[in-house]
Amino acid sequence: MSAALTLWHKHMRKSLVHPEEIIGLLLQPILWIVLFGVGMKSLMAPVMPSGSNLYITFMVPGIVALSALGGAVGGGSTWLMERVQGIVKEYLVAPIPRLSILLGNALSTVTKSLFQAIVIFIVGILMGMQVTTNPLGWLGGFLLVAGYGLGFAGIALAFASKTDSMGAYHSLIFLLNLPLLFLSNALYPLDVLPKWMQIGALLNPTSYVVDGMRQTLLVNGTALSGTSVLPLWLCFAVIAIFVCLGMWLAFSAFRSSVR
Amino acid sequence: MTELEQLIGDKESTKMDHQKQTSLAVESRGLVKRYSEEVLAVDGVDLSIAANTIYALLGPNGAGKTTTISILTTLLEPSGGVAKIAGFDVVRQAGEVRKRIGVTFQDVVLDNDLTGRQVLEYHGQLYGQSKQERRARTAELLALVELEDAADRRCQTYSGGMKRRIELARALMTQPEVLFLDEPTLGLDPQTRGRIWDYIRTLKDQNGLTLVLTTHYMDEAEQLADRVGIIDHGKIVVEGTPRELIDQMGADTFRIVGQGDSGHFIEQVRALPFVQTVTTGDNVIQVGVDTGSRRLVAIVSTATDNGFAIEDLSVARPSLGDVFFNYTGRQLRD
Ligand SMILES: Nc1ncnc2c1ncn2[C@@H]1O[C@H](COP(=O)(O)OP(=O)(O)O)[C@@H](O)[C@H]1O
Ligand SMILES: [Mg+2]
Repeated sequence: MSAALTLWHKHMRKSLVHPEEIIGLLLQPILWIVLFGVGMKSLMAPVMPSGSNLYITFMVPGIVALSALGGAVGGGSTWLMERVQGIVKEYLVAPIPRLSILLGNALSTVTKSLFQAIVIFIVGILMGMQVTTNPLGWLGGFLLVAGYGLGFAGIALAFASKTDSMGAYHSLIFLLNLPLLFLSNALYPLDVLPKWMQIGALLNPTSYVVDGMRQTLLVNGTALSGTSVLPLWLCFAVIAIFVCLGMWLAFSAFRSSVR
Repeated sequence: MTELEQLIGDKESTKMDHQKQTSLAVESRGLVKRYSEEVLAVDGVDLSIAANTIYALLGPNGAGKTTTISILTTLLEPSGGVAKIAGFDVVRQAGEVRKRIGVTFQDVVLDNDLTGRQVLEYHGQLYGQSKQERRARTAELLALVELEDAADRRCQTYSGGMKRRIELARALMTQPEVLFLDEPTLGLDPQTRGRIWDYIRTLKDQNGLTLVLTTHYMDEAEQLADRVGIIDHGKIVVEGTPRELIDQMGADTFRIVGQGDSGHFIEQVRALPFVQTVTTGDNVIQVGVDTGSRRLVAIVSTATDNGFAIEDLSVARPSLGDVFFNYTGRQLRD
């Protein structure tokens, strides 16, 4: 475990070396909220459950999930780069558990995602989003974000363990990213979608993290999801299974790529 | 596994247990690594490296040096054979092995975004060193490799030689028993190579460290190593101290290039009483003799008598390169 923390610390330290990377990571979700959110606001108003003007509030959890996805992709490319450059060999000859090597990477990815989530929520609040004051709600919401980030960090790490080409990695991940965002309830309520998309969305962990966040972090979040609201316990259960699945994928891919 | 193989295996393991008592830092028996149907990178390597010595694996590109080192440092699993570091099996006791080794890799493996000091700090932390230990060791090693002034600069700004030096320091951070250096001076200019050699010599004198290095520079092996193993096509072709190996070749070596019927010439030369070795290959005939200056005339007249026209002839003290040529019939080029 202490080896994982050491690697976590190193990854965090390294990203501080590049402030432009941090600025990019924070600016991207803000642009989403401001451009997409404001632009879509009037368009979406009629399908918003209460009919009121809540689109920004509705979409912020989706943007948090999207950013966590982006963070996971970044974690995977860090891993791929370390593999290609041979830095992984330094870890592999060290007397540390193999799992801690992956864990160090995944933990730093999740840490960054949580920071991003905080910034996104601050921007959302500034734009009039109404959030809960219940500390348990915040704890639950961030747990969901962390789990979602960890699960995708695992999937990205699995991809990055299986290929030696940055181009191949990014095209694969991109292919995965689009349906994860659009085939979910992140940007529109489930009940306005055609049936086949609804089924797709229900198979997508993004829907559960987003719906879970709405219910834990927002005022009136349940109402926002309308008739298609997913039970909160189910959100937590799905994300928990997703974490295990992601980490298992990462570890088995990692095992086959190194000794 | 047949019964016979099992018996041999058992015999080998008792042999190795016995050798452990005579404190071998590295030992391997019948080490094999097959990457694929066609590529047999390591083909039955036996090593016995005594503690507190410098051992050099000398061989051309593709000989199997890096693969051998990767097996010994637990990065790769062998396809066959056994290897032990300080008495611990590299496969079954990989964790124990890892605690006792330091490694530098053939390619530079450094986090460009970290400073030299951070590289050492994180490495120590990864191995569970305490803060005081890390601080003391970092200061000591930065002084050893003379990087104190550059310690707080990012590695990205380091020259090739500085990168090699910080890697050397990193490998030493946790006071390993056995240090593996894969081509430690690859691509460095002669002056920087000389400095790296100096550090390596200093290291052996300190605290009983065993060094295993690979190189394709014959002068490096000759200058540094207590023992040299010459490796080619995954096999150790000959092993010994540099002196032993070179002395086998005779005191001086003629290198002869010429035209005509070399067959008779070689036959006659071989029969001369003062000739110790004759090797041919790559259009070069190499003749080891007791003293070059006194035998030059005899060699030249033997050539003339046999209708072999000498185009180029040089005499030199033999090197490990000549030893390599003698055993493989090929030149070892830098
Ligand atoms: N990962 C690998 N997969 C397949 N073949 C390899 C691999 N690594 C090395 N080889 C081959 O194994 C042989 C030995 O390589 P190597 O151990 O790197 O030699 P050296 O370090 O002496 O140059 C070479 O023919 C090389 O092409
Ligand atoms: Mg090599």
